[in-house]
Amino acid sequence: MPRSHEVALDDMSIPAPDFDVRAYANDAQASYRDYLNLEAYRAHPLSADTLRILRYLQVVERGTMTHLRSVLVTATHKDARVTAFLISWAFEKYWIADALDQIIRAHEGGEADRAPFRTPVERTIRESIVANIIGLPMIAVHMTLGAVDEWLMQAAYRRLVELDPNPQLIDTVTRFLATKGRQLEFFEGQARNRLSTSTRAQKVTRRRLAKTPWPIGARAEPRENTEFFFGHLFSSHPSTIVEIDALVDSLAGQKNLNLMKRAAAL
Amino acid sequence: MDTARRRRASPDYLMAFDIDRYTSTSKKVQWGDLDFTEFERNPLPDATLRSLRYMADVEYHTVCYLRDLLVTPSHKEVDVSAFMTMWNREEFWHGEALSKVLGAHDVTLDYDELKATRLKLGWKDRLDPIKQSVLGNVIGKDFIAVHMIWGAANEWSAVAAYNRLADMEKHPVLSELLRRIAKQEARHVAFYATQARERLAKSKKAQVLARLALKGAWGPVGSSIMPAEEVTHVMGHLFSGPEGLREIRKLDEHISRMPGLEGLTIVETSMKKYGVAA
Repeated sequence: MPRSHEVALDDMSIPAPDFDVRAYANDAQASYRDYLNLEAYRAHPLSADTLRILRYLQVVERGTMTHLRSVLVTATHKDARVTAFLISWAFEKYWIADALDQIIRAHEGGEADRAPFRTPVERTIRESIVANIIGLPMIAVHMTLGAVDEWLMQAAYRRLVELDPNPQLIDTVTRFLATKGRQLEFFEGQARNRLSTSTRAQKVTRRRLAKTPWPIGARAEPRENTEFFFGHLFSSHPSTIVEIDALVDSLAGQKNLNLMKRAAAL
Repeated sequence: MDTARRRRASPDYLMAFDIDRYTSTSKKVQWGDLDFTEFERNPLPDATLRSLRYMADVEYHTVCYLRDLLVTPSHKEVDVSAFMTMWNREEFWHGEALSKVLGAHDVTLDYDELKATRLKLGWKDRLDPIKQSVLGNVIGKDFIAVHMIWGAANEWSAVAAYNRLADMEKHPVLSELLRRIAKQEARHVAFYATQARERLAKSKKAQVLARLALKGAWGPVGSSIMPAEEVTHVMGHLFSGPEGLREIRKLDEHISRMPGLEGLTIVETSMKKYGVAA
């Protein structure tokens, strides 16, 4: 790597100044199994629609390794602070997916889903070559993808318990949101900082955001499941979609992308 | 070669390794109860610090190794993906624990230094995922077996290295910490070895590939990222002398007991290459 890149990387060594990655890693949220209180669903089961959403969320949450694949083949993997974060992020998401799986199985019985993941067509080689030509701005892309995805996912969990205010589900989702809130802090801090210091990063990120199917991981799911996800959660509450798009607008160089409006086809 | 039928069959390689048990008991290595002020009274010798520095670098580097695994089809399997998540985190915490020991001796190993190491790898490192991806996706499932035996060889080496250093130092804090780390590494061995054994047993092609890869390309853990003189120092420090040789041969025995890998002596051969004298 040319010397100039090293210098540039060093300039960005603390892009989210208020976020202590080591402390975050230290407090990473492990299993929720002790808090799931699955018996509660016997008296107050979740609706079929809620379960369908939970199944979708479970697939999306557990897809961390597929996402990491495209992240780590780029310059992003060189930044030890970012990788330290992502290692704990994957760990936390693993346990959120596990909790969702437990709740689904408390309703439907059966064994854990052991079928191999459906993953989109592998474009690793092309991705890797392109991303390495782009170089450093890819970190901004990945951090922004993370932030936008968090905005959407958190809104989805909130809407889900508004539509089905099951007390036990509310308790569990509140725990998820606390975990996700910390993750968002990192992604958002990183994204804002990296975007504000580089117009090139802004341009590359803009192109990437526009091309990404939301939520991250949707590409591996049949289209009708993603349509149900947006339709069920947001069609009766389109202002949430507008709010997320407004948050995206607030990122340097990412105005008027209307990502969520387009994804939700509202 | 009945690849089609094998591909349709559900992957059930984990009879001897309970993944749920592993994930639910996966913890970051603990050191809060160990008295690190002991290092002020009883500091470690320079040769040991140099080896620890190497080990910490290698542990932190696991995420880059994960990357090479992820570009092959292995991550699509639920159990493998679950394992990778926990394993990667445990190794990260080994790095943190070791850098804490180094810190007690005023040797800093922070995220920026790690980044510098990764930057030094340059283009070779950028090409790795591409190479792996081409190989992995052309050769397909049999390539997973190569990763698994490779992982097993590395984890076996790690267990041996940590236990050996613990034995050599007999330090009340360091040796205890190293044994805790070694215990976690032993669980990684269980995963990789179970996977490797099953996958190799099922496919002659996987055996041929694994033999070829190990014989042609295996080197001591860390040798692909650390300078040769550091590899020589660490391996010599830990594995020279008759006791070291005994450990080295044990490692080769583990590997050569795998289906189709009889007679391989990759560890001994590579140690000689780095000038480790028995």
